[in-house]
Amino acid sequence: MAIALRTLFRFGPLIFAFGFLAPLIAQIIEALEVTPPFGLAPLTVGLVLAGVLGLAAQLRGRWV
Amino acid sequence: MSELASKSHAELMRIERDIARRHIGKFPWLAVTWALTNLTVWLSLWPLVLMGIIPLWIGFIIATLNVMLSYLPSHEAQHDIIALPGARLRWLNELVGHLSTIPLVLPYRVAKLTHLEHHKHANDPALDPDHGTSARGPLHAIWKSILNRQPGNKNAYGDTLVRIGRPDVALDFIAYELIFYGTLFTLAWTGFALEAALLWWLPRHIALTYIQYYLSWAPHHPATEQGRYRNTRSFRSILGNIGSMGMQYHVIHHLHPRIPLYRTPKAYWEMKPVLEARGARVDEL
Repeated sequence: MAIALRTLFRFGPLIFAFGFLAPLIAQIIEALEVTPPFGLAPLTVGLVLAGVLGLAAQLRGRWV
Repeated sequence: MSELASKSHAELMRIERDIARRHIGKFPWLAVTWALTNLTVWLSLWPLVLMGIIPLWIGFIIATLNVMLSYLPSHEAQHDIIALPGARLRWLNELVGHLSTIPLVLPYRVAKLTHLEHHKHANDPALDPDHGTSARGPLHAIWKSILNRQPGNKNAYGDTLVRIGRPDVALDFIAYELIFYGTLFTLAWTGFALEAALLWWLPRHIALTYIQYYLSWAPHHPATEQGRYRNTRSFRSILGNIGSMGMQYHVIHHLHPRIPLYRTPKAYWEMKPVLEARGARVDEL
């Protein structure tokens, strides 16, 4: 249990990125009625953007 | 003041305690009503927004105010102001303590134990769990508050719980975090990411910055001195006493933590000559 929790918190930025930021970005795109480039689905854009942000935060230890 | 300056330490202490005693022991209806109303309003926002009864932007503004207002009733409970241990209404003290900070995702036991350590060691860089909020000025204080929440940062509250031999209480923190993020993720992946972001996630970040600014940074700035009369101060806020959540008179709270928040201004003006005679930092107000 302790190991599972430690792992969870250790990868917090990536988990937050895919758990929350990705669908949030997708739903912002839909709410603004923006058409993503190259025919990408809003969720694909969300996953890519959130993945990049989350990976950067994971490596740097900070979002800002 | 000149009359008081000639008095002994014991006489000054007696006068100070007599004033404090007049303000302690009054039942803080405001804190109890505030806690329960605030939580009810915040919880009501969810069905109201999800069912489209009120627009999300209005929900966001109200939720932000709710989360900003969620800490202080718990703070009254942390100091047993609603009811002392063993008193008939002790359950209400603990209920307010536990319920009011739910929107802030701050467990009562974590808040209480670390806050009492803050009182014991205010401005001690090694032992004050809130010392991380010290900053050069207002903008730096806001930036420090944001930086302190970054994932790579050390958790001062967790370290404090370990230091005082209560690492078990950190489990409350873990449970709150799991529930908070679990709720956010579930809402986000079921099509309610914007609602989750604007009713809880962003309001919480705004509120944490505001609370740390006014409850921690401003009353202790520059946070370099320790000691009963020097570790905090009175100050004049551009948002006034209500806009700074009653923190202009924070010096009274540190000297006599069982005085309810709503009585600190009155106690301050009555006690000010004594505080001046003591060399307290009360020159701004």
